[in-house]
Amino acid sequence: MSAPFDPNRNLANVSLRHVGKPLVRTDAPGKATGRTPYAGDYVMPGMLHAKVLRSPMPSARLVRLDVSKARALEGVALVLTARDLPDRLAPTDIPGQTGQTRLKTDQQILVRERVRYHGEPLALIAAESVDVAEKAMSLIDYDLEPWPGVFDPESAMRPGAPVVQGTDNIVARHAIGKGDIDAGFAAADMVVERTYRTQFIEHAFLEPEVGLAWVDENDVVNIRVSTQVIEHFRFIADAIGVPHNKVRIMGALVGGGFGGKEDITVEIYLALLAKHTGRPVRLEFTREDSFVGHGKRHPFILTYKTGVKRNGKITALDVRLVSDAGAYVFLSPYVLLYGAIAAPGPYLIENLKVDAVSVATNNMYTSAFRGFGSAQACVAYEQQMDEVAQAIGIDRLDLRRRNYLKTGEPTATGYRVPSAVWTERCADIAWQALGEKTPAKGAIRIGRGLAAYQQSYGRLTFLHDTSEAWVGVEVDGTVIVRSGVTDIGAGQASALAQIAIEVLGVNMENVVVYNSDSAVTPLAGTTTATRALYMTGNAARVAAEAVRGRLVARAAKAFGVPVDDVVLADNKVSALDRPDKAMSFADLVRLCATEGIQRSELAMFRAPFTDRLDPATGQGQAFADFTYGAHAIEVAVDTETGEVTVLKSVACHDVGQCINPAAVEGQIEGGAAQGQGYALSEEMIYREGRLMTPSLSEYLIPTAMDVPVVKSIILESRSGVGPFGAKGIGEPALTPVAPAIANAVADAIGRRIHDLPITPEKVVRALHGID
Amino acid sequence: MYATFDLDRPGDLAAALAILRTKGAVALAGGTNLIVDMRAGRERPQRVVSLDKLGVLRGIRQARGQVTIGGRTTVTDLLLSPVIAKTAPALVESARQFAGQMVRNTATVAGNIACGSPAADLVPPLFALDARLTLVSARGRRTVPIESFFIGYKKDIRRPGELISRISWKAPSSRSCALFYKLARRKGDAITVVGVAVALDVERGRCRRARVALGAVAPTVFRAREAEAILEGQTLTPELIESAAEAAAAAARPIDDIRASAAYRRHGVHALVRRLIGQAWEKLA
Ligand SMILES: Cc1cc2nc3c(=O)[nH]c(=O)nc-3n(C[C@H](O)[C@H](O)[C@H](O)COP(=O)(O)OP(=O)(O)OC[C@H]3O[C@@H](n4cnc5c(N)ncnc54)[C@H](O)[C@@H]3O)c2cc1C
Repeated sequence: MSAPFDPNRNLANVSLRHVGKPLVRTDAPGKATGRTPYAGDYVMPGMLHAKVLRSPMPSARLVRLDVSKARALEGVALVLTARDLPDRLAPTDIPGQTGQTRLKTDQQILVRERVRYHGEPLALIAAESVDVAEKAMSLIDYDLEPWPGVFDPESAMRPGAPVVQGTDNIVARHAIGKGDIDAGFAAADMVVERTYRTQFIEHAFLEPEVGLAWVDENDVVNIRVSTQVIEHFRFIADAIGVPHNKVRIMGALVGGGFGGKEDITVEIYLALLAKHTGRPVRLEFTREDSFVGHGKRHPFILTYKTGVKRNGKITALDVRLVSDAGAYVFLSPYVLLYGAIAAPGPYLIENLKVDAVSVATNNMYTSAFRGFGSAQACVAYEQQMDEVAQAIGIDRLDLRRRNYLKTGEPTATGYRVPSAVWTERCADIAWQALGEKTPAKGAIRIGRGLAAYQQSYGRLTFLHDTSEAWVGVEVDGTVIVRSGVTDIGAGQASALAQIAIEVLGVNMENVVVYNSDSAVTPLAGTTTATRALYMTGNAARVAAEAVRGRLVARAAKAFGVPVDDVVLADNKVSALDRPDKAMSFADLVRLCATEGIQRSELAMFRAPFTDRLDPATGQGQAFADFTYGAHAIEVAVDTETGEVTVLKSVACHDVGQCINPAAVEGQIEGGAAQGQGYALSEEMIYREGRLMTPSLSEYLIPTAMDVPVVKSIILESRSGVGPFGAKGIGEPALTPVAPAIANAVADAIGRRIHDLPITPEKVVRALHGID
Repeated sequence: MYATFDLDRPGDLAAALAILRTKGAVALAGGTNLIVDMRAGRERPQRVVSLDKLGVLRGIRQARGQVTIGGRTTVTDLLLSPVIAKTAPALVESARQFAGQMVRNTATVAGNIACGSPAADLVPPLFALDARLTLVSARGRRTVPIESFFIGYKKDIRRPGELISRISWKAPSSRSCALFYKLARRKGDAITVVGVAVALDVERGRCRRARVALGAVAPTVFRAREAEAILEGQTLTPELIESAAEAAAAAARPIDDIRASAAYRRHGVHALVRRLIGQAWEKLA
């Protein structure tokens, strides 16, 4: 154990008035009192209700589709099939403002002939009521002829397999090669090879997909929708064949995203129905629709071969990754790349080889999910660390300590991380915080596990990411922030408020944030990739500082002091050591206004722009920066029934700088719960492509009765590339949880279950070999 | 999609029973099964007869060693009752692990029995209590042991229009112990994979009465009589308990489904019967 870390040590010389405090979030009162409208709360006069008819078969040919009875039903306004639409495709590539050339990954909007997954849409219905729309759906006649399908990526790679995408089902490949892998293995005292598997999982956000669309007097298609990405307006416009400036997306506070609202969901259907009927149209997915209506987390097969010296130094690592892309490409190539880059974890591996491939199948398509490939990698690399430690007979934490990547050292892609790397400190603190071990009793055994991680925040830098925010002050001294950023529940908008008031010296009740409108708020990019605070937070800070600069200059003139002596705080302007010089913030703004001094600023923040990684070696810069931390777990395992109870769940993350510690805790606690589901109970089961877990009674997310009190330990290195030295925590909070639980279970029962989820039945099989 | 239906809320039992005689009428208690089934289109009743105004069907009484509860007693009512705590600890345990708070507040005991699910959690403890059900209809009333109520998967002996008005049992002696275990895929709001209720009465170092009731491992909840026979009249030893557990596992007829395999369910029966009998015996011996 290293010396206990004193978290207060880093507070020296930092004086922040608002940032870093658990202020009441701007979105909290409305949510707590029920006044906040979500996208599903919006209605319009004369509105129609939509439904989507979906294929019950995963691989088929549509030989007949007869919608005449549905069209004839009283109250049905419109039924659309592929035959009614021009042959346009729906883009499925990475969304946002980057202008990179699109991968050839587009998807049919409605099935023309070939069905590739269970749930693929066949027809759209708009009717006067939901009941009529459902009735109409039952009146649509169709014949589907079964078509040979392929349901796992290893079979789909074999020659002669049914082709789902492209010519050979290979959706993407990535390779990383570093050092001399053969020499590395030659130098090893022992080689440990294991294969780990992860499952399909579902985001299970509280609020299923919902939206309302209407065409306005300027022929603009307006869509109010629950989304992480308002900048899909371009893809939507392309898909329905209108110019980009004729689609406007308005978000609302989102009832959870986790990556599941990163792709287009209801928008294109709504746009088409609203355009064709000329009436407002509302579409709300039921939970069952939602389960078949958006992509899942990629199952990965991860094979790790580690060469290690007896002293614990890892000399070589050879990793093979296979991911199931499902029936359409969506974000699979990017998820795979994240997985490849994350493959060695937070360790310095000099001799590294990663081969990664993503393969199309007739399973549900897979796409973004919190952790985005890095989470799957962590499931493997942290279990592998425990396996290696056991194989060479050294302590699990010691093995990690011998190999942690340290500040200034190069990652898998040879990039030197610009921020502090506090993995060891986080891991030691989390481990210590587990406290005294719970005693075992009878059939109940106790186990402990830890997982450390490295997780990027911010997009791949070759995507050339930008974000805009506008900050302005009113003549009464109040502040307005405008930015397109979507708020998916983590307090993205509130963070901008806290940043702006920090810079401008006003209080939280004096600021309002307008966000999430593609037409009237400056485009900020997506709320994905743990990028919102990093990108938009920086943009807001830059904008606020520009405004502050002008205000302070004017105040300095009025006070006759140097600009550096002007202090903005508590809605007041004063001068250092000059009690006679003071005015209200509002008076200063009014003074600027009367003189025509600009009181607002639109700022763009640009992430580092890089080239793509070297295609042969995978070397180069992939991300701006990374977050580091660890999660520690104690479990009780009932060795007779196989039940696993999580007793203690402790997280320690270096978030760089908290903007709002209460919001950071929220992310950590949510990540702990979601990661627990990933480890123990959640699985979307597809049998021959058919979903066997169509609702929340089969798909088991942990409940309040399953999750223990989560302990969140937040460290602040103030070294990140976000505002005030912040790093990102959205995805990192989830990433280490599942492997920490897997390691704890293995520790408890002395056997490892290599495929998630670790169900009671798998535990029993591992221990007793039933049948 | 809900089919259209008429909703009645009769104010007295006779009126309710009269309406329930009509074709396509079905009783609505807490609605935690019925409404779910109606939304999914599995049930399409024409008339829904809500029992919510029938206070006579709700309540818990103990008199002359007999405990009687109304059919519309909710799961939460069970948890709040000192009478239940004293006379039916295994029922309390199953109520505690039942669904989540919101469902417990509205789900009823009769609804749990009448839904006919082999995984209904309150049923194994009621089997272990030798509970009796009072069935009433416009034509009259009868009382049956709960064990003879179920005749197949989601099949029971109710006649059209018949309601479960009461559930009753004899308060157990102080030399008895009843336990319940719910084995499921998670702790809250889970469908039971194996449910086991056991009850032992012990006198002078011997097991006088043994009950082993199993849920979710056959088309209905049932008593593993072979296991009970191994225990009754005996001074229990680990070997006897083990052979009772084996007999219980052998009597189970579980299925494979997405929650668990038949083999795991059988293993669960074995492990849990052994554990619960052992615990009960230890408590009493
Ligand atoms: C989220 C959720 C979690 C659940 N968890 C559990 C669980 O952990 N364990 C468990 O066992 N069950 C569980 N259930 C199922 C359900 O809650 C129970 O079976 C409950 O006891 C049903 O009672 P009810 O009053 O809601 O019945 P209802 O839905 O009102 O009725 C169910 C059936 O019983 C009939 N019925 C109702 N009352 C009577 C009566 N007095 N006489 C004759 N017939 C009658 C109805 O006509 C209907 O056919 C869960 C359900 C949900 C939605």
